[in-house]
Amino acid sequence: MTGRVCRGCGGTDIELDAARGDAVCTGCGSVLEDNIIVSEVQFVENSGGGSSAVGQFVSLDGAGKTPTLGGGFHVNLGKESRAQTLQNGRRQIHHLGNQLQLNQHCLDTAFNFFKMAVSKHLTRGRKMAHVIAACLYLVCRTEGTPHMLLDLSDLLQVNVYVLGKTFLLLARELCINAPAIDPCLYIPRFAHLLEFGEKNHEVSMTALRLLQRMKRDWMHTGRRPSGLCGAALLVAARMHDFRRTVKEVISVVKVCESTLRKRLTEFEDTPTSQLTVDEFMKIDLEEECDPPSYTAGQRKLRMKELEQVLSKQLEEVEGEISSYQDAIEIELENSRPKAKGALASLTKDGSVEDTASSLFGEEDAEDEELEAAASHLNKDFYRELLGSGNPGSSEAEGSPEAGSRPPALESLLGPLPTAASLGISDSIRECISSQSRDPNASGDGELDLSGIDDLEIDRYILNEAEARVKAELWMRENAEYLREQREKEARIAKEKELGIYKEHKPKKSCKRREPIQASTAGEAIEKMLEQKKISSKINYSVLRDLNSKGGGLQREDVRPEDRASARKLSRRKTPASRSGADPVASVGKRLRPMVSTQPAKKVAVGEALLPSSPLAGAEPARPAVVVVESGPVSYHPEEEPEEEDPDEEDGEPCVSALQMMGGNDYGCDGDDDDGY
Amino acid sequence: MDADSDVALDILITNVVCVFRTRCHLNLRKIALEGANVIYKRDVGKVLMKLRKPRITATIWSSGKIICTGATSEEEAKFGARRLARSLQKLGFQVIFTDFKVVNVLAVCNMPFEIRLPEFTKNNRPHASYEPELHPAVCYRIKSLRATLQIFSTGSITVTEMRPFLHRWSLGWPWDLC
Repeated sequence: MTGRVCRGCGGTDIELDAARGDAVCTGCGSVLEDNIIVSEVQFVENSGGGSSAVGQFVSLDGAGKTPTLGGGFHVNLGKESRAQTLQNGRRQIHHLGNQLQLNQHCLDTAFNFFKMAVSKHLTRGRKMAHVIAACLYLVCRTEGTPHMLLDLSDLLQVNVYVLGKTFLLLARELCINAPAIDPCLYIPRFAHLLEFGEKNHEVSMTALRLLQRMKRDWMHTGRRPSGLCGAALLVAARMHDFRRTVKEVISVVKVCESTLRKRLTEFEDTPTSQLTVDEFMKIDLEEECDPPSYTAGQRKLRMKELEQVLSKQLEEVEGEISSYQDAIEIELENSRPKAKGALASLTKDGSVEDTASSLFGEEDAEDEELEAAASHLNKDFYRELLGSGNPGSSEAEGSPEAGSRPPALESLLGPLPTAASLGISDSIRECISSQSRDPNASGDGELDLSGIDDLEIDRYILNEAEARVKAELWMRENAEYLREQREKEARIAKEKELGIYKEHKPKKSCKRREPIQASTAGEAIEKMLEQKKISSKINYSVLRDLNSKGGGLQREDVRPEDRASARKLSRRKTPASRSGADPVASVGKRLRPMVSTQPAKKVAVGEALLPSSPLAGAEPARPAVVVVESGPVSYHPEEEPEEEDPDEEDGEPCVSALQMMGGNDYGCDGDDDDGY
Repeated sequence: MDADSDVALDILITNVVCVFRTRCHLNLRKIALEGANVIYKRDVGKVLMKLRKPRITATIWSSGKIICTGATSEEEAKFGARRLARSLQKLGFQVIFTDFKVVNVLAVCNMPFEIRLPEFTKNNRPHASYEPELHPAVCYRIKSLRATLQIFSTGSITVTEMRPFLHRWSLGWPWDLC
């Protein structure tokens, strides 16, 4: 049919037999194709006599086992996983959607969104629950159902902003434009929850009108729609003589009380609030208001301007006051008895800043704060001097305090601790008196030093005393944290002693174990056993006794680490412990881990790695151990070395390894519990 | 409508964030003890150092990576970073000032008119996204400039972007759109 040309004769007349699947040239009879794949439906006869079509149903979700010709084992696995993901997602969507009372159409749409998300690999690295919630919310938005993101986050107990982030990403990646939320959508839902009875519809209509008014007045931009709804419903309820308190409304609407109050006050500011109920229903005011944040901003600007004007006036007034003060001072000085001595010169000095500068030489400090601190320091100094000095100058003490202090300084300084100001003055002195160091350009050509003031940088470095003070302060501040750290270390040390130390690493993903390379099955099992953790809740001695006749002198070429895992399989491992020279010594080695209550694998491995342990040490350990272990079965260590059954040995590992693998899961869990 | 010709729009750069490396291991404890304006956060393993001259706050890690925030211009950021490196040198570390890069620039601008956010988002669908439940502003992303604008209904706009000199251009957008 495709117009092929026969290879033999060149003729174009080719017959395709669908039943046999052949393509034959009618000219020369040569067979061009054999076993053509056809897409016809074939029928097979049933046992009942009827005929049915041959074939399988393959579902749209791709969960069928599609047999691939030849290779494709890998491909098959991938498909399975995808299908599983989709199935899982579908299940979760239905579960959540039913809680939200979404109809089937919405759930299907959500599932479609989910499929799209999976195909774009958006589920990677995100919690499935988040993605599902985002899909559902997307559906809610496109359909216009009154569900809020808050509802979803309530159901999932997830932070609403996290969900919002996922939702925004999803909407962007899927290029779906979710229409903006209209607060009017929420009114029927909240009104129903507030239970207005028969007047439900009227209250809703009133609330809707209020909302539209709010929109015109620009109250709704940038605000949570639920807050606006709450305010509108509250007012509407009051208008219809329903007494709904603020608390009831906020429990339904899920906003904070202060938010609601704020919306109400904003609405109060609009001219619409001045209308009466009937007027409101009939008239619609023409003018629109500015958004409340804009008016708030304008108000702030105005306040600032006012403040500036006020401060200017204040300055003028202050200027007047200071001039009065000076006048009073002069009068007082003239009238008061003259103090003698050095103090007199000090008290006669007018402004405090001059003395500060004279004390420190040239005034190098640029910051006026430092200046102020220095002068404050000096004032304290003076006060002490005056107080402890001439009692006759107690009056003098009084007046300089009242007089010579410029008002600005006082307001600046207030309660400055003298220690700090002392510290600062020290560094000032150091900075001023020390010469500037040479710029340290040792081996660093890359740092461009132009424009960098070294002096100032020197100020950033504390000297020894200051460093000590600071260290003390820091220690005091972070005492809690340091104490916790010390306790933690103490705990770890104690645990180490008892040998029950378990390292709690912060959650790292499990390292991939390297695939075990072993030549025989037995070796592989041994290696696996040593890798896997073993439970500590088992009384190994008893276990060993159960298969008690299995311990023998036969040596096996087993790595010493196997001794660690030997505890669980008593009989099987007794030969394992026999490597190297001493069977009894190895018994002792095995016993030694038993001494500790919860034999950690590390300890055992550590011990096992000791190739030669003194026999003597093992012997006394053994009886001691025997005493300690009060199992139901009396333990006879003498019997141990005799028993070994190599034949059973071979059979054993297979069975007990299986048990191991099955039981080990329990063991692992147990381990986790014990390790707290 | 050109943004700058008709109305004097003042674009204020409020924050410049930059990073640089010192290529040497820093002993945080020493810095914390001897530096004058440092806060040592031991639990997260970093030191906050604040400079006064260009008002910047630097986060210093022991690996030698330093993030500088709070500068008001790119030159100031570089200047502050250099000062910081200098002070670390004085403390005794062999500091090499490398890999200086301005990471983020934040600027603020105020439009003299209000903006209607729902209609704005409708007109600028793929770029603008507005979620009143989450944030009061419209988030407008310009992919070509790698800039993000947050547009509030009062008319104030904040621009966050990687390359420092493109504020004017990115602000031209809303003028065309509003």
